[in-house]
Amino acid sequence: MPVNTGLAHVSNDFLLFAVAVYAVAMLAYACDFAFGKKPAPAVVKARVPELVGAKAATAPSATGPAGAAAPAGADDPGSAGPGPAGPGTDGSGAGGTGPSAGVSVPPGQRLGRGPVGFWVTAAVILTSVGLAAHITGVVTRGLAVHRLPWGDMYEFVTALTCVAVTFFLAAMIRYRAYYLGLFVMAAVVLVLGLAETVIYTPAGPLVPALQSYWLAIHVTAMTLATGVFFVAAVIGVTYLVVDRHGRRIAAGRPAGADGILRRLPGAAELDRLAYRTVIFGFPIWTFGVMAGAIWADSAWGSYWSWDPTETWAFITWVVYACFLHARATAGWRGRRAAIIQLTGFGCLLFNVLVVSLFVPGLHSYAGLH
Amino acid sequence: MFPRASKHSPSKPSAIQRRVIRAVGVPAALAAVALAAAACSGGATAQQTAVGNGSSFVTGSYGTTVFRPGSRPTAPRITGTTLTGTRFALAADRGSVVVLNFWGSWCTPCREEAPALGALAQHFSPASVRFVGVDIRDDPASAEAFMRTFRITYPSLNDPNDAVALDFSGTVPPAGIPTTLVIDRTGKIAARIVGGVSYNGLRALIAQVLAERA
Amino acid sequence: MTGLRIPPEVGPDTPASGEFPQAATGEAGPGRDGRPEAGPSGWDAAESGSSPSASAAAKPAPARADGARGGPGGSSPPGQYWLRWGWRQLTSMRTALILLFLLAVGSVPGSLLPQDGTNPAAVSQYYAAHKTLAPILGRLSLFNVFGAPWFAAIYLLLFLSLIGCVLPRTVRMVGSARQPPPRAPRHLTRLPLSDSFRTTLTPEAALESAAAMLSGKRFRVRAEPGWVAAEKGYLREAGNLLFHIALLGVLVSIAMGGLYGYKADRLLVEGTSFSNTVTALDEFYPGRLVSPGDLPPFSLTLDHFSASYVMSGNLLGQPSSFNAAVTYSAAPGDPAHRYALAVNHPLNVDNVRVFLIGHGYAPEFRVTDGTGHVVFDGPVPFIPVETSGFTSEGAIKVPDADPEQLGFFGVFLPTTVNDGGRLVSDFPAPLRPRVSLISYAGNLNMNSGTPQSVYALNYAGLHQLAVPPQPLAAGQSIKLPHGLGTLTYLGYRQWVSLAITYDPGTLPALVAGIAVLAGLLLSFMVRRRRVFVRAQAGEGGDTVVDVGGLSRSDAAGGFDDEFSGLAAAIRGRLEVGRGDHDPPKGE
Repeated sequence: MPVNTGLAHVSNDFLLFAVAVYAVAMLAYACDFAFGKKPAPAVVKARVPELVGAKAATAPSATGPAGAAAPAGADDPGSAGPGPAGPGTDGSGAGGTGPSAGVSVPPGQRLGRGPVGFWVTAAVILTSVGLAAHITGVVTRGLAVHRLPWGDMYEFVTALTCVAVTFFLAAMIRYRAYYLGLFVMAAVVLVLGLAETVIYTPAGPLVPALQSYWLAIHVTAMTLATGVFFVAAVIGVTYLVVDRHGRRIAAGRPAGADGILRRLPGAAELDRLAYRTVIFGFPIWTFGVMAGAIWADSAWGSYWSWDPTETWAFITWVVYACFLHARATAGWRGRRAAIIQLTGFGCLLFNVLVVSLFVPGLHSYAGLH
Repeated sequence: MFPRASKHSPSKPSAIQRRVIRAVGVPAALAAVALAAAACSGGATAQQTAVGNGSSFVTGSYGTTVFRPGSRPTAPRITGTTLTGTRFALAADRGSVVVLNFWGSWCTPCREEAPALGALAQHFSPASVRFVGVDIRDDPASAEAFMRTFRITYPSLNDPNDAVALDFSGTVPPAGIPTTLVIDRTGKIAARIVGGVSYNGLRALIAQVLAERA
Repeated sequence: MTGLRIPPEVGPDTPASGEFPQAATGEAGPGRDGRPEAGPSGWDAAESGSSPSASAAAKPAPARADGARGGPGGSSPPGQYWLRWGWRQLTSMRTALILLFLLAVGSVPGSLLPQDGTNPAAVSQYYAAHKTLAPILGRLSLFNVFGAPWFAAIYLLLFLSLIGCVLPRTVRMVGSARQPPPRAPRHLTRLPLSDSFRTTLTPEAALESAAAMLSGKRFRVRAEPGWVAAEKGYLREAGNLLFHIALLGVLVSIAMGGLYGYKADRLLVEGTSFSNTVTALDEFYPGRLVSPGDLPPFSLTLDHFSASYVMSGNLLGQPSSFNAAVTYSAAPGDPAHRYALAVNHPLNVDNVRVFLIGHGYAPEFRVTDGTGHVVFDGPVPFIPVETSGFTSEGAIKVPDADPEQLGFFGVFLPTTVNDGGRLVSDFPAPLRPRVSLISYAGNLNMNSGTPQSVYALNYAGLHQLAVPPQPLAAGQSIKLPHGLGTLTYLGYRQWVSLAITYDPGTLPALVAGIAVLAGLLLSFMVRRRRVFVRAQAGEGGDTVVDVGGLSRSDAAGGFDDEFSGLAAAIRGRLEVGRGDHDPPKGE
């Protein structure tokens, strides 16, 4: 069937619109950092043991134990109340979140049911609108080429950023992690912008090697997993920034960017969120690699031939496995684990951007040559 | 914040656990290591050099294999058309020693051994030793030109579809080209030489097989 | 008010918040030796006074400690001590981390440098291009990374470490499969999640009700006077162990393939056939235990090959489909069958699979030598050197031409266009095929026995003939000077490249892979958690019921919701017997 170029143009238009809307959403997140209200004290709804005096936590001036109450009671962000610490200047060593969170963040300043200001609302609406356009763009591309729209590099990038934004939107709403917005949107705008300009490939049929139902299974899984790891990497970077900021404060050195960083949760929360994201993505990546192996076996006769892209997918898998092991090893949690996680994502990026384009092998379907 | 790891004396696992671990774990570990080591070292060295290089052997089967009289596999029934168009059947040569040589005009070691084969064919009388060639992946024109160049007078079967080699796959398959098979008077395979033959070596081998009582 | 309680799962450095292969029943990492810690972990505290089998099982001997263990045991001789220490180091988490990291790093050169197994031609090119660097890399086995001994050592050690950790834990898990939950801690309100309410039921009735509810939710329940302990999520450890054991299964499957499997390549021109014997294969990579007689004796003919390309639009020239019509028979004398071989659609004969990998053009030539004999007559496969126009290069060797050996080297252009004086091919389909050859005569160097590529000439003994390489259409000839002969281009055929593979480890690897995924999902999704209930008489005749819960490795979240649901359910059952209600505290 011939390519429907009209629909292909519609797809491009929607994707460009999505990039623009994402950019505006990014600005809205930034404005939330700059101008948004800091969360006001509210009734603590933590399921804390009564002995710890949960009711005392509603007092506007936070004290140590009350500060500890919130993290003590609520492992699960989103279910606990917001921190009681009012003005946010009282950050000294409540230390409730454990040794690594020496941030001058009032310990209750965590993912919580804080007041959702105008900027955040606007940003979320814009993100949703952008996502709708993004999805439309991906779908129309698929309709234009009469197949699943992830057959070349450009399509792969647009699809994975779509997954990343969807995942981020879901996680942000579930865990009230609005602070992620600025960073994820910035990354998505950058990547999608690159896709539309530098990596763009016109719509067309697939080479015979890709004409298989395994395309749907393998590339879909890899796209999903990449989108999820993308978000995990953004969280990891945020963690490192917050962690470094915290260490500087703890060491008594002046640390800049207090305004933004005080809006972010403690390093511990970011670490856990990153971990949860990775354990969501890791099985998908494992499945994707396996599906790729099954496809390779049915296409080339060998389920593993150490093709460069296969090898780098394996390397990525091993590094993420390293991350999971590191989180179970004392002394390797926290900063080192975050670095390992980011290394894993770096390997993933290297695989997608460098290996599939520049290293010859069976996988060069980028469509860029 | 939390107590650092303190040193303890290594405590023993229970006796049952120790026995189980020793019984199961060690052989399992060794088996895995041995299997993997064997598998991974087998890959590269057992490669065949490509026909693209004008020759092909399976490393490891290179050289001469001689079968003692009691344990010789029977040669399969080979039939075909020679390059000159005549029919050929191996069974018809029962009673003489047959030297079957797999070759191709494009194959450099085949070209190197061709003079020796031609001379040996002259040396032995055709009544007692028949030389037959099997020409692989060649067009007839090139094959005839080869025979002219090296003055090969014995016939060769044109085997573009490797049917002859296939017939041997159950017994003593040619493991590359050139391969030479020496078949005794009773139709059993006495020897296989993978790789180019030398005049003296092959002559001695043929003489040995010839000397046997039928 | 009790002092500051730092619960587990909060700080990333909490030892008790371990995820992956943390020890099975009740250990939590360094500092754990069976005594309850004054510190955080309610999990540990709950262990105190647990049954002897539990504490024996909690002994950390081969467990994944951080390698900080070990002072000399007074009872072991020094040699045994060192062996044990070494074993503990090997099976420690940190060693696993390092080995995993080395595995990843070691794979990097295998992906960036050309490798012997997949692209030997590129390796030779690399040697030619990097005369000093290449031999150094070669000695380090960097051109055969995945078969290199140092790479094997890494993954073998890793699997040894894995076996050393997984086996004892499997034994321990099986041993503790029927083990009841530990006793309830004294102060349930100190646990990270707890709730407390009053009821007018007697303590015994309250506990019985709670136990029934938990049992209904498939918790393993242990009821004792004064308290109830319940535990769930044992499958997590089973999933974890399944994952790691299945990885071993994958390794074994790969080994099976390496021993008994083989791969082979064959280039087949239209109209010709081949049989599955060693002499017929272009390349043959047998496994360690494979001999030429193991190949199933099928034969296959390529009747016709066609490729279609995108004829218009943005992706002009991109191939859109390949189809090869073949006829095959499984053994000599077996009936012939037809098959449509295509990419992603291999032929399966006797568990050996034949794949369509690539294609190209084989122009046909007839060469007449100086004496008038036809000395060459057949197709010559040319190898494509670029994909947009499928320009292909090849060599014709005529070693038996008289008076001089002849050689030709040139290109085949499927759709020939003149690009500023140069001839190039514009489109991969044969719309206007031409052949252009440079002619040579002399000594092709084929009689000395040294191997050479069939696609290239050895120019050492050749001299170029003064014949211009003009493009030939089908039927046209080159007349060589000095009466050396004539070459006629007759037309072209197409060829396909086939991969013939046999791997008995494929199915086991698939099964192991599925087990890997299953184990992974189980260990990620199942939480090991414990719920305790205590009931005692309080003031005013009421019974105070405390419910506490904690989960091991709950960084994945979700237990809070489950716990609140359980607490509400317990309260709901107990409310049956309540008189005037007190508002439940700590809600």
